[in-house]
Amino acid sequence: MFHRWSVSLLLVQASAVRAAEEVETVSLSPVSEALILAGTFFLLAAALGMLRFPDAYTRLHAATKLVTLGGLGIFGGAALAFVSAQATERVLLVAAFFLLTAPISGYMIAHAAYLRGIRPFQEDTSVDEWGACGAEVPELAGRD
Amino acid sequence: MILNAAFICLAVSIAFTVFRVLRGPTWGDRITALDFLGVNLAVLVVLTAIKTSFVAFLDVALIISVLGFLSTVAFTRYLLSGKVMK
Repeated sequence: MFHRWSVSLLLVQASAVRAAEEVETVSLSPVSEALILAGTFFLLAAALGMLRFPDAYTRLHAATKLVTLGGLGIFGGAALAFVSAQATERVLLVAAFFLLTAPISGYMIAHAAYLRGIRPFQEDTSVDEWGACGAEVPELAGRD
Repeated sequence: MILNAAFICLAVSIAFTVFRVLRGPTWGDRITALDFLGVNLAVLVVLTAIKTSFVAFLDVALIISVLGFLSTVAFTRYLLSGKVMK
């Protein structure tokens, strides 16, 4: 009986210590504030481009490139804002994954849009050198 | 102060993107907007982690970015070949 109570008390203490370790000290230096503000500006510009551009490809252009720049700014500012090395390397892990996957997803969306035949804005001024726009078969479900 | 301004800007950005998800004339616009929405959510969660100084939100941001990338890949693979997995 005594052992069981002592073990549960130890578990409660360990969970309390772990919860206290989760809260890290944050000091926002001017450099990190400037980085966060620049990243937010680029994300807002990307959203404005996604609202106002006339075409799927131009919207993809705005989203992919400006999102890479804005994510770099915001994650860099967050990595500078956290004091401890553990939190900083977690932020850098998120940033590395983000920088690896954002161009790949943009490429895959553009590839699928071209092969499934989404037409660009103003076809008079665009040149399709490959000539494969809409080359994939048009029916969508039921293939295997 | 900076964090509150960033939260307001990200809210406006998410509103624009949700408008594009609902309105977008083709599915390419919708997939692009959903990918961008996942990025916005990950950035919002990282800023929440700074504001509350609670590190467990960083894992939430990592999971949100992984799920956004995998959903984009699944959408495009389905639209190109009719199936997601081989």
